[in-house]
Amino acid sequence: MADKNRDSEKAIIVEGLVKNFEVVEKKQGIIGAFSSLISPNKKIVKAIKGINFSIDRGELIGFIGPNGAGKTTTLKILSGLIYPTSGFTQVAGFNPWDRKPEFLKEISLVMGQKNQLWWDLPAIETFELNRVIYELSKSAYKKSLNELVSLLEVGKLLNTQVRRLSLGQRMRLELVAALLHRPKVLFFDEPTIGLDLVAQQRMREFIAEYNRRYKATIILTSHNMGDLVDLAKRVIVIDKGRLLFDGEFSELVDNFAKEKIIKVFFSKGIDIKSLETIGKVKKLDFPNVVLSVARTTAAVAAAELLQNFPVGDLTIEEEPIEEIIRKVFRSGKVIKGRKNTK
Amino acid sequence: MTSKYLSVFKISFQQEFAYRLNFVMWRVRNVMQFFLVFFLWDTVFSDPNRVVFGYDRNKILTYVFGILLLRALVLSARAVDVAGEISRGDLTNYLLKPINYFRYWFTRDVSSKALNLGFAIIEASVLFLLLRPPFFIQTNFPILFGFLLSVILAILLFFSILFLVNMIAFWAPSMGWSAQFLVIVIVVEFLSGAIFPIDILPNAIQGILSYLPFPYLLYFPLQIYLGKLTGAAIVKSILIAGAWSAVLLFSVNSVWKAGLKHYAAEGR
Repeated sequence: MADKNRDSEKAIIVEGLVKNFEVVEKKQGIIGAFSSLISPNKKIVKAIKGINFSIDRGELIGFIGPNGAGKTTTLKILSGLIYPTSGFTQVAGFNPWDRKPEFLKEISLVMGQKNQLWWDLPAIETFELNRVIYELSKSAYKKSLNELVSLLEVGKLLNTQVRRLSLGQRMRLELVAALLHRPKVLFFDEPTIGLDLVAQQRMREFIAEYNRRYKATIILTSHNMGDLVDLAKRVIVIDKGRLLFDGEFSELVDNFAKEKIIKVFFSKGIDIKSLETIGKVKKLDFPNVVLSVARTTAAVAAAELLQNFPVGDLTIEEEPIEEIIRKVFRSGKVIKGRKNTK
Repeated sequence: MTSKYLSVFKISFQQEFAYRLNFVMWRVRNVMQFFLVFFLWDTVFSDPNRVVFGYDRNKILTYVFGILLLRALVLSARAVDVAGEISRGDLTNYLLKPINYFRYWFTRDVSSKALNLGFAIIEASVLFLLLRPPFFIQTNFPILFGFLLSVILAILLFFSILFLVNMIAFWAPSMGWSAQFLVIVIVVEFLSGAIFPIDILPNAIQGILSYLPFPYLLYFPLQIYLGKLTGAAIVKSILIAGAWSAVLLFSVNSVWKAGLKHYAAEGR
């Protein structure tokens, strides 16, 4: 109980978290299989190399990193699935690894590629089972179910055998199953993976709505930058088990978007060479040209273009977010965001 | 608390029915196995007066019939899926929920046993009418009580053996099935008395076996039912089975804890 009072507005605290995996390398072929059986070639993989962050109640955080960065591992540690090698973690006032029932009733982990619905039975059977497992009262269950069903528009699918559903339909039902107990802390791991654009948008709207309506704390990992731009104000960037950035999305853009993109439509033919003096030509598909120029001189460059060239149309844009993130990873440097200056 | 596991029982029952054909094939396999053993011994004892290994025709056929029913009760279990769940990472689903994994699987085992026992009783009745084997109804109450106790212990024993074998998947995800085959299909079949009564073996081997957990799965409970063991021998067999259950259940718990630390929640 003493734990619970500690830092009560923090939903998640992570300090000096380290996770090493021991993997046995399998050699190729039958002889290889035998030799690794007799003398296994063990290797330590350092998945997380000491990360710190904390998240307030009700925050929605984007967790960014390439494959193998340690995102999913972190989420698994925070939900009590895997044992941290060292470091301190606290979620909703509990140590996740204890997996106390009170803790498990407060959280949920939704993985885009994992399913909990009973494959051969209609989804409603899994929901009923979850009702008793989470010890929900009949009325609380009904209320929760009705809300989720209407939010996700799955009313007609409840009594269909799960195996007969499409991926998008199934994902929405998985969400219902994961949220029936109204978790206060939610971990979404690639929730939009494999979904079409309409379904992705719907999923995002739902996550935002859930965050707003229940003041839930949410961590979201995604490769889909659209998810993050839409949903998360604050992002945490990790790569190779280290935290590279923790702060507002806009800060990240300021730090890394050193350039702006100018898209020009020319009304007459021009000398391409002379364009090079203004900025770097990124794409040339005459009469459309895309230039990238230094952030600070973007306005000057635009003015110069308008003055000296037959410009039909011109826009100044930010670099695509994917490009910015790629730069963060490529630099591999730790950037001090406002959040991790301690 | 109990309602949780009652619901698990119900959904598990439904699940079995989703694979009706599978279940029917499994029962067919059991009946075929029964025929195999039945006719084997029927041939050995084709002369009703012949006595081999201290068994005559009636006694051995009673034994074989008893095994058919006892198998359904002791050896039918769903926990064979545990290794797969661990290596595929599906264990994650349970670890995230406020539910006890052992009780969950034990409940599923019980539902499987209930279903299998129901079918075994129907099958046994049909086979009984067809084959008209001698059958022995035990009426002595203390012996029946000893039998009940030994069956409960046998169920716990099999559950813990099965779980221990399946948990190998924590360390060797690809070994789950082969370990299962070796221990459950070969060792348990032969040493539990499922195929032949243990007392046809030489005394020395019987002596060793009586200190292993396996004969307490089928052989000893059936011997108690058939009235082959006397008071002190019944108590001794229940004590040994009880000690093994305690040791194995304790090991299950500690191996589980060690396994979880090794678990990487893979599969995605």
